[in-house]
Amino acid sequence: MFSYRICGIDAHSDIHLPGVDEPALPDATAQPVTIRRGVVPGAIAGAIAHGPNWHIAASECLIEVPDVARFHLSDGARITYAVACEAALADVPIFLLGTVFGMLLHQRERLVLHASAVAVDGPDGPRAVLFAGVSGAGKSTLAAALGARGFALVGDDMCALSLRPGASPLVHPDGRQLKLWHEAVIRLDLGERRQERVRPVLEKFYVAPSGAMTAPLPLGAIYVLREARTGMEPGIARANIVDAALLLRRNAYRPQMVRRLGQNASYFHAAAAIAGHAGIYTFTRKLGFKRMGAALDQLQEHWAQIGLAPAL
Amino acid sequence: MRLPYEASLVKTVWLASYPKSGNTWARMLLANLRAVDAPVDINNLPLRGGMSSARAAFDFATFLDSGLLSHEEIDRLRPAALAHIASYDDDALLDARDGEAGDGNAIRYGKSHDAYTLNDRGTAVMGGAAAASAAVLIVRDPRDVAPSLAHHNGSDIDTAIAFMNDPAAAFCGHRDRQPNQLRQMLPGWSGFNASWLDQTDIPLHLLRYEDMRRDPPSALTGLLAFAGQSEDAETIARAARFADFEQLREQEQASGFREGPRGNFFRRGIAGGWRDELTAAQARSIEATHGAMMDRLGYAPDSV
Repeated sequence: MFSYRICGIDAHSDIHLPGVDEPALPDATAQPVTIRRGVVPGAIAGAIAHGPNWHIAASECLIEVPDVARFHLSDGARITYAVACEAALADVPIFLLGTVFGMLLHQRERLVLHASAVAVDGPDGPRAVLFAGVSGAGKSTLAAALGARGFALVGDDMCALSLRPGASPLVHPDGRQLKLWHEAVIRLDLGERRQERVRPVLEKFYVAPSGAMTAPLPLGAIYVLREARTGMEPGIARANIVDAALLLRRNAYRPQMVRRLGQNASYFHAAAAIAGHAGIYTFTRKLGFKRMGAALDQLQEHWAQIGLAPAL
Repeated sequence: MRLPYEASLVKTVWLASYPKSGNTWARMLLANLRAVDAPVDINNLPLRGGMSSARAAFDFATFLDSGLLSHEEIDRLRPAALAHIASYDDDALLDARDGEAGDGNAIRYGKSHDAYTLNDRGTAVMGGAAAASAAVLIVRDPRDVAPSLAHHNGSDIDTAIAFMNDPAAAFCGHRDRQPNQLRQMLPGWSGFNASWLDQTDIPLHLLRYEDMRRDPPSALTGLLAFAGQSEDAETIARAARFADFEQLREQEQASGFREGPRGNFFRRGIAGGWRDELTAAQARSIEATHGAMMDRLGYAPDSV
């Protein structure tokens, strides 16, 4: 068995999960999860929603990656996977770590965002700054580029938050390496840190961060990434409380699952809690590696304004 | 507490076309049906039905990161994903599209530059009748498409002609990075149009760019009658006025157009412009390759 610390949860797995650090901390307080190869049922009883490749019940889910694997999640504690006949076992971990673990967190009713995160100095120690957005919005690339400026990685694609009364929510590091496309590895000059492919068929690679956080840290700010297209004002803007609640819900790791499980309200409540201790902002910018330096400068200036990191 | 998304009974109708064939213009006409005092902002008129190749909507539907799937794996899931999306209520559509609202029409028109192809399991990638109840195929003289495509791609005209002749061509088919949309197969100008004309899954309405240019209200009336959307003549006439080509071009010159990556998207908008843009050899090459489909669509070798 292999053991990992993922988003603050200890995972005991019969399959090696590349790109994840083994736990260096004492046992997490959260209930552990087991990941085992086994028989995955074709259907589940009492399903409340179905999708093209998934079924959801109150405490059980099924999800399929066609021709790769099928996964069964129960009680937020057990993941069983079955590998498709012709599939390579090496194709399975990336889906276990992404979609399946994210669904497990939703099953546990955790607040989990589709976001990357880095650590930024605050007045009382490091804080997590999150970059949320749809696939292709630039979450991982931004975290990687900030890494080159000395900001340690907190999470690559998924951020689990724990609300605390009277304090900023805690962000749990996902314990993983970055995942970057070949083009980004080259453009960000990260060739020396490049590890194995995330899947044998993809030109996408694990990339070791220059520094990574292992302990949970308080949330500093959430930026929702937007591409600046014609007619859109570029820049950083604080979202009002209504917009912030919508942004948080739509940037849940799997928003449809949140909705189907009847958890929308918790995201609205969380938005209010977050707004009291850390801002939720939209960051609208033109995409492109040539503009990356300017985007990072803009962020660092903003951090100085909101009292996070020293000015440039 | 809101209920989970309810199944929708709203019809989805594809606006399918080879690129640079007037799809955006048809979309402007439809969006302006709901404009009363002034034309809609060309930078803010998403179709209620979105775009068939949208990555975010696919990820929202399947719980997967399409960026971790090969093009072939995505194509295996797209039929069911598009059918799932067609069943969403408007709240779900909003969430699936990161809050981008629709155009307010009674029908969900969805834009598509996907050829009507089968995936490697023999299923129509577009999802057949489960994903849409009908399709409007917008076509344009390939001799006018070529210079427009060259302008759009920032390429020369010969490169555009070669793309239009390539049975393996695609948009967003890269493998070393994540394209902004899902791969769209564009198996040549003839192949693309044949794929839609020859499919038998859903009813098809053929709309020629040249007819839309000549008489926009008639073209719009025909489209709406086919789709089953009832509008009065005054509304249609106003939409046609608001989406007049010169009007669109003025808006673009004043404030730009977010879908036009290189210079002017609304460039000339004329039928037969190829006569002063193509060399005789280029025109002959297109006619030689696409003659059969041109004939089928009513574009004579020497016609305007």
